[in-house]
Amino acid sequence: MKVLVVDDEAPARDRLCRLLGALDGVTVVGQAGNGREALERATALTPDVVLLDIRMPGMDGLEAARHLARLPQPPAVVFTTAYGDFALQAFEAQAVDYLLKPIRAERLGKALDKARRLSGAEAAALAPADRRARTHLSATVQGALRLVPVADVVYFQADQKYVTARHRGGELLIEDSLKALEEEFGEAFVRIHRNALVARRALRGIEGAEGQCRVRLAEVEETLEVSRRHAPELRRLLRGGVL
Amino acid sequence: MDAPKDSFFLPDFCALPVAAAVVLLSELFAFIIALAPLGRGEDFWSDLALVSLFVQWVTLVGATLLCLLRPLLARLDSRVAAVIAWLLLVALVGTFSHIATRFTVEFALPLATAPAEFVLRNMGIGAIVSLITLRYFFLQHQWQQRLKAESEARLQALQARIRPHFLFNSMNTIASLTRSDPDAAEAALEDLSDLFRASLADARRLITLDEELALCARYLHMEGLRLGERLRVQWDTDDLPGDAQLPALTLQPLVENAVYHGIEPLAEGGAITIQGRRNDTRLMIEVRNPVGPAGTVQARGHRMAVENVRARLEAHFGAAACLESQQEAGHYIVKLTLPYRKEAS
Repeated sequence: MKVLVVDDEAPARDRLCRLLGALDGVTVVGQAGNGREALERATALTPDVVLLDIRMPGMDGLEAARHLARLPQPPAVVFTTAYGDFALQAFEAQAVDYLLKPIRAERLGKALDKARRLSGAEAAALAPADRRARTHLSATVQGALRLVPVADVVYFQADQKYVTARHRGGELLIEDSLKALEEEFGEAFVRIHRNALVARRALRGIEGAEGQCRVRLAEVEETLEVSRRHAPELRRLLRGGVL
Repeated sequence: MDAPKDSFFLPDFCALPVAAAVVLLSELFAFIIALAPLGRGEDFWSDLALVSLFVQWVTLVGATLLCLLRPLLARLDSRVAAVIAWLLLVALVGTFSHIATRFTVEFALPLATAPAEFVLRNMGIGAIVSLITLRYFFLQHQWQQRLKAESEARLQALQARIRPHFLFNSMNTIASLTRSDPDAAEAALEDLSDLFRASLADARRLITLDEELALCARYLHMEGLRLGERLRVQWDTDDLPGDAQLPALTLQPLVENAVYHGIEPLAEGGAITIQGRRNDTRLMIEVRNPVGPAGTVQARGHRMAVENVRARLEAHFGAAACLESQQEAGHYIVKLTLPYRKEAS
């Protein structure tokens, strides 16, 4: 059984590795110090289980678990935490297991047994039903996981099958529906058309007459079509300066 | 002896403010009696003069007696003491009324009733009024006791608390170090013990600034084990007088906030600056930490710790101390100002 250890604190990782080393049939395939690193390692190393600290800088464990669940071979996630994190109670039912630090060797063994009994897909289904907005978007591109900070996204545009997230550094095809994205990121993005959501911070201006409006955006050359229905609200936003 | 005085409900009638209050209240009572249309026949002012004379006479002698007897009464159960005080006052009214009837004969003052009835009526009034008065003293005393207990409790509740997060993270670090570096584990346990001893100690206790800075250093050492190179600390506190007194754990929670909200959310970590300045009467201590991207700051816990420190400062120093915080150019700064008070020798 391949295990990935994720914690931002070196002593915590050391101890976990030592405990895991004493268990039969368990191999520590890697370590990571934050959520993003965890996703990269998990994509490359395809562990069966990820021991994931909840409180980490950058991307926290709860969000990392959501991205892990989208991998082609999702690992089972076991959370670790030092103290009853506010989020834990809510996710207790959904996580494969969670461990309180300092972790007991026999508790760790039990959690791994539990993870072993679950297939990857089953485990992924247990990913936390976290309602908070993610900080990153993820997609696998040619077997590699790509992450884009939501803060870098200028707009989302839907075509027949996929949604394209246009960001500072290019484009990312993601599987989320535009409706789900609007629900998740409604505070930072505004709907301008049946097929597009735009980052409020990127709004620069509207051009064209009624019915033929297009919106200008920061950081990208192209303009986007604004539907008749959404034009008034967009004008109000731009006028009010409340972006 | 302060203890029996505080726990006894009768005030010290020999104290000047209490004596003055007794005179004033007696006079008000004399007014009430003089105002009542009892039909003594004389005009209001001579009624008042006579009644005042009598009432003041009784109450001042009564107050003097209670003052002298207070040490004895204080040793008794408060109910027994109350009954004794009450009987004493009633007997006093009876005795003085009896003497007064003699005077009325002597000076041919008008007396609306027969002398025996006069004495009994007065004793009746005295019994009721002293009962009410004693009851008032008792309630007043209880109310003050409760007020005192409440403010004590409030101060106790303001006890500085170290985040449980810190405790368990430290335990985890120590668990890890016990194998890899037993010496460091031992030192960490000593640091942790000092910190928790300070946080469990009496909230009213004052410690020296040197001790407080040492606690901060212990705390930062613990966090350094856990966070490694992510936590960097710059001390600039040589200017501060080590003998200044302040409530224990005034500065440490601010440093803890700086780590918890400033350093921990940053993947690459950052530097905390602790800077101290002084002049003749005041100390200024500043804790500065970098701020991560918005959204990672858990403002509520931050405020709670700051409010706790602020409340304790106010309890100890009143308006002489203050705590301000501000955010500027990617940094969060907390400024603590204290009066420079040395240990009372």
